[in-house]
Amino acid sequence: MANGESKPKLTIGWLYARQMSTYGDRGNILTIWKRARWRGISVSVREIDFKEKVDPTRFDLYFFGGGQDQAQKKVSDDLIKYKKEDLKKAARLGSVFFAICGGYQLLGQYYRPFAQPELPGIGLLDVVTVASNQRMIGNIVIETNSMLPKIGGNLMVGFENHSGKTYLGKKANPLGKVLVGSGNNGEDRAEGAFQGNVFGCYLHGPVLPKNPFFADFLIRKALARHYGEVGLDHIDDNLELTAHDAAIERAKTSI
Amino acid sequence: MNARLMTAVLAAKTLRLVIRLSGGGATAAPGLAAEYIDPHALKKLGKYYDGALLVTGTNGKTTTSRLLGNILNEANINFIHNRSGSNLLRGLIGTLAENFSFTSRKKKLALLEVDEVTIPIAVQSVEPKVIVFNNLFRDQLDRYGEVDKIRKIWQKALLQLDSETTIVLNSDDHSVSHLAGSTKAKVIYYGIEDDGLSLGKLPHAADFTSCISCQSELRFDQVYLSHLGKYRCPSCGLKRPKPDVYASDVYLDQENGFKARIVTPKGTFELDVSLPGVYNIYNVLASVSAAVACGINLSVIKRALNATTPAFGRTERINVNGKKLFIALVKNPSGFNEILRLLGTNRNDKYVLIAINDLIADGRDVSWLWDVDFEDLVTDPNLKKIRVSGIRAADMALRLKYAGLAAESEIETDLETALEASIEEVPKGDTLYILPTYTPMIKLKKILARRGYSTQFWED
Repeated sequence: MANGESKPKLTIGWLYARQMSTYGDRGNILTIWKRARWRGISVSVREIDFKEKVDPTRFDLYFFGGGQDQAQKKVSDDLIKYKKEDLKKAARLGSVFFAICGGYQLLGQYYRPFAQPELPGIGLLDVVTVASNQRMIGNIVIETNSMLPKIGGNLMVGFENHSGKTYLGKKANPLGKVLVGSGNNGEDRAEGAFQGNVFGCYLHGPVLPKNPFFADFLIRKALARHYGEVGLDHIDDNLELTAHDAAIERAKTSI
Repeated sequence: MNARLMTAVLAAKTLRLVIRLSGGGATAAPGLAAEYIDPHALKKLGKYYDGALLVTGTNGKTTTSRLLGNILNEANINFIHNRSGSNLLRGLIGTLAENFSFTSRKKKLALLEVDEVTIPIAVQSVEPKVIVFNNLFRDQLDRYGEVDKIRKIWQKALLQLDSETTIVLNSDDHSVSHLAGSTKAKVIYYGIEDDGLSLGKLPHAADFTSCISCQSELRFDQVYLSHLGKYRCPSCGLKRPKPDVYASDVYLDQENGFKARIVTPKGTFELDVSLPGVYNIYNVLASVSAAVACGINLSVIKRALNATTPAFGRTERINVNGKKLFIALVKNPSGFNEILRLLGTNRNDKYVLIAINDLIADGRDVSWLWDVDFEDLVTDPNLKKIRVSGIRAADMALRLKYAGLAAESEIETDLETALEASIEEVPKGDTLYILPTYTPMIKLKKILARRGYSTQFWED
């Protein structure tokens, strides 16, 4: 870290930690936490629950995991009623958002289930999601978008499990190109989306432990709100990269 | 019997014989063949049996149905059983076909452990006298999609039952006890009444924590395991049903088993079982409740349970040259958490081998490892060594690193090499705890049998 006068601090808001964490997504929080702590950055994580309002200046990073379809409506209602405006404001003020699967869908414009009214998202990402009969399940490998030059790595690996098909609008860009798996919709080879400081994708696994460069990328982005551009101390990622490579190898051979 | 069914039965029987003679142990092939020849085989075969006892739930199917089998044996009731745990449609057909007798007219009872999603077809095909629903946890989400879907599948399957059937429900699991509302079947609830077993708070992996009736968050006065406990809904007033059969005054004797007082509508008895852990209390209660529903005498039930030993790979203990191997299948966060809780109850030196595969039978997604709470294990002062193995060994090692394991765990993807190394380093008298997912467990079993340490499971 640059000029260590006072210990840098990272404040994380975990949206619907209980309802939206079905597939090991809490591993992402743990990864950010540990990797920041190993660099001497202090971290606080606060769970943001139903009916709670959010102070848009408080958090550097919001994490929003995936849940079950049944939770989707309840969460959508709560987002619109209690949180939408403040979260939009937080994004404008430079907070970083990272969302997986169901969380990713609800950061978009809407989720359209079968024969039911659309569930509005909060529109931080210009994407829409439509329910489909096709469950897209399996290992997934993507090549990260070259528009993200400082991301630090070019292959990301995870496990996808969704039936919603997500389509990007003009303002959002894909997080990467699918090499193995289905991605956003199984049609256009795009996976995930980003728009400014807001990132979403379908990668469970969880994604951050096995793609440590992306975890560090998010940490750097989140710190930028208070500390500007910072470098992170090098840490030993041997095991992370072993798992990364093994998972990619597995993805290539297991389909 | 029509020709198609007869062909199917003969095919299954022949195939089973050939497999046995050639020393193989695959359990699904005969049923698969029979199903292929006659897709309606289960329903047709069901008529040749004197009704069925079905056991389902995410965890404990094999153990609970084995307990029930021991009770039926003790009660001198003639029955057939898919004892090897082959519990998909093909496994059920295989079991009914292989046990089909062309000569005897006496109908036997069918005891079947049934995969969660196979319940609807099983309920339609065999006449269930009793159905046990033990619990429902997130498990193999890559295969089933979502856990609430299974609850809905069960709910729908129960609609067609009448009071000829008794359903045995875990009162402590909201997702299971709530099934009572959607059926005309008779209901028996079982649960735990011992506040001393409470975890104090819900673990991260708890699934059904909001009220199915009104969506509000449930309050838990006691948490016995995952989301199982004494819950109530502050908003609509829903309460955990009072159990008809329950365990109180429980004493958990580490990995040796437990003692408890079992209370039933027919009376009370003291039990001393060599199955360890809180989850096994539920398995025992489920089997007691089903046996009571069958009208079996309490003294028979007690005798059978006291003599029970663990099923293969389910908290099984094996002795190897004075070293103890403790093998416990781990396949989902709730089950894994409970095994770790069991390990945490003793102060012995611990040597651990965890084997994680991602084949279809294991679940192809290993994300769930991050929903397991490893933090207590890695900080256990008695933990001497952890070795990880299996196709996803690196994922497991990474999980342990982020759980706070000080030294890196040793990665050895080849199971037999890992097993050898782990046994080698355990001092005589100490225990190696082996925690495999499904396919490494089967492989382990073969390795141990080949080396003469244990018998093949299809022979036991």
